[in-house]
Amino acid sequence: MDSLDFSDILASSIHDIKNSLSLILTNLEDLINNPDNHIANPRQASLLQHEARRANNNLIQLLTLYKLGQRQLAMRVTANNLADFLEEVVAENLSVCRTLDLELSCRCDPDLEGYFDLELVRGVLDSTIGNARRYARSQIEISADQEDDFLVIRVEDDGVGFPPALLNLLEYGTGRQGDSLNPGRTQLGLYFASRIAQLHRNGARQGRIQLRNGHHLPGGCFELWLP
Amino acid sequence: MADAFTAKSFLVVDDFADMRSAIKGILISLGVTRIDQANNGKEAIAKLQNKHFDVILCDYNLGPGKDGQQVLEEARHRRLIGVDTIFIMITAENTREMVMGAVEYAPDSYLSKPFTKELLRTRLTKLFERKADLTKVNEALMAKDTAAAIRELDALIAAKPRNLGELLKLKSELCIDSSRLDEAMATLEQVLAIREMPWARLGIGKIQFQRKQYDQALETFRHLTEQEPNFIAAYDWLAKTQVAKRRFAEAEETLRLAVRLSPRGIQRQHTLGELALNNGHTEIAEGAYEQAVTLAKHSVLNHPALFAGLANSKSANGKYDEALKVTAEINKVFPDRPEASFYAASATALVKTRQGDKAGAEAALAEAEQVLAQLNETVHASEHALEMAKTYAGLGRADKATALLRQVIANNHDDDETLNRVVQLCQESGLDYDAETAIQEVQRDVVKTNNEGVRLIKQGEFEAAIQLLTQAANEMPGNKTINLNAAKAILMYMERRGVTEEGLRTVRCYIDRVQSLAPDDWRLADVNARLRKLTTTKG
Repeated sequence: MDSLDFSDILASSIHDIKNSLSLILTNLEDLINNPDNHIANPRQASLLQHEARRANNNLIQLLTLYKLGQRQLAMRVTANNLADFLEEVVAENLSVCRTLDLELSCRCDPDLEGYFDLELVRGVLDSTIGNARRYARSQIEISADQEDDFLVIRVEDDGVGFPPALLNLLEYGTGRQGDSLNPGRTQLGLYFASRIAQLHRNGARQGRIQLRNGHHLPGGCFELWLP
Repeated sequence: MADAFTAKSFLVVDDFADMRSAIKGILISLGVTRIDQANNGKEAIAKLQNKHFDVILCDYNLGPGKDGQQVLEEARHRRLIGVDTIFIMITAENTREMVMGAVEYAPDSYLSKPFTKELLRTRLTKLFERKADLTKVNEALMAKDTAAAIRELDALIAAKPRNLGELLKLKSELCIDSSRLDEAMATLEQVLAIREMPWARLGIGKIQFQRKQYDQALETFRHLTEQEPNFIAAYDWLAKTQVAKRRFAEAEETLRLAVRLSPRGIQRQHTLGELALNNGHTEIAEGAYEQAVTLAKHSVLNHPALFAGLANSKSANGKYDEALKVTAEINKVFPDRPEASFYAASATALVKTRQGDKAGAEAALAEAEQVLAQLNETVHASEHALEMAKTYAGLGRADKATALLRQVIANNHDDDETLNRVVQLCQESGLDYDAETAIQEVQRDVVKTNNEGVRLIKQGEFEAAIQLLTQAANEMPGNKTINLNAAKAILMYMERRGVTEEGLRTVRCYIDRVQSLAPDDWRLADVNARLRKLTTTKG
């Protein structure tokens, strides 16, 4: 009771920070959507919204990775309808994309089912979309398909694509992705995504991520392969 | 779409006023008009007592007092919300392990803060759809008509809807609860044929456990804990099976692992405390009971037995003053529960005996006996009898302890869990009583009486059957099987020879006994249905 547990401190600080972010985001949305508001520059407000969401995603990643390191992370794999799930992800990211003049769309078979931890994968997709927002020219597309007995969720944009160094980094070791992708050498977001992918197993098969350019849209394409 | 939201009533629970108004703002923008608010768990429970809500949006973190999980726990436990109410837990820290502590009470959905209006709209629309399909199932469940609920589910399942997985899960659970094990097995195998799912595998293990195929159940749960090391329910069931196999040391090991992964389950800590005490690991026991008491502070699951266990383990560790402080607290914490003074007195008697205060122990024992006599109940009778037997054994009254244990065995001849606790108690207290043999003897006697009764019924000798079974029921008022069979014999007699007031009264008395001992006993459905049929055709 009297010993301070760092994970409790972390959790409660993050709780507070997220409360603040939550209020910032809600009020920003009100400002942006209020036609009578002539004070705020909508472009600036959108930028604030964009950054607040990024801070939020980073916090989730931070806590998740911390728990992973402490072996406290619990997986909750459920059967999920992909169309429903992607619809939610789009809904949550739509207003930010709109204010940045980006089209966010979704392509998915309405009956496609997948087995994964909803919140962890949502975290991966939110942060990937957040990343795509910075590179997209006018369009972001998320999609889900069944390929080679894996569920593949893609986030694509119509920007310039990933640099070759990043693409090569992921070419190696489908099995030992976590080692080649340490958080010091690449972005936290990709490291997080690859760890979450690997947590998903079905029998001997394991999840992974892959980067490529020019799949359905001309820009970067992030792929999450789930068994 | 806006209409769907307008018609619904919402309760928003958050300790942070700005947050509540932010959520309220989002709801209003979605067209919601009926919104209530609560700023802590206590207020939320009070609101739920007075009003029905369609949707509850509850933050996990509610400051001092109950947390969101405890609000949900109490609301479901006290049936303040039905299966038609949507409970959404709002989390900020993504605190899965907090929520994982309780496997029995899961919310319908989680939302992590911050969320947008669009996300809430999409989520609620889906949840409304899901619950709308289940309206008839819900109605049947509210009326405690599990058979009808399963029929409704089968009709839904036949159409292969989008939420098929969920429907199959619900069906398997209802089938297991109502002991329709073959059907449950078929449903789970249907799920597992498509894909390995931990909850479905757990269900298979539960069925094996209910069929008393303990070796197979052991294998299922062990494998599950290896494959899914974070799936806490598998550890609980593994430990339960190990206890059924009387492997108390292994069961303790299993639960020690489980509480490391998820320390917040009150029942888990309680069971661990009991096992550790039995196995002589008094330090572990004290730690577990300490946790249980702390966790239960704001919980509807708080119980005097937790305090008694803590006092017991503290005194086993030589901390007599601390132990007596704990027993003194029992009556303060549970002022409205008549059994509290019983637990306080019996625990005090044990502590004082260990302390060497013979006179004090005798006085406490006398008080415990007196309170127990006043309780004069059948509800939880075995639990209290076990507690009393433990105290008698601790005070060296082996004769009184064994007499009580014999009664517990007679009342629970087919309830393995209680019988295991008898065996455990004898071990823990070093009581010189051959519980295993006593169990076998009683089982033989009761089964003989039971079979004889069934034989007489089959031969149409109802009077003789009724005489035999009612006599047995009066000797063992706490024995559910005997009471149910006595009720059944009288019902069958009345079905053939006509209804009598006397017969109805006796049947109701037996049903009431079972109802108060185990309201969820699946066998009640059959006798209740028969009774209903008789009384309606008569009138």
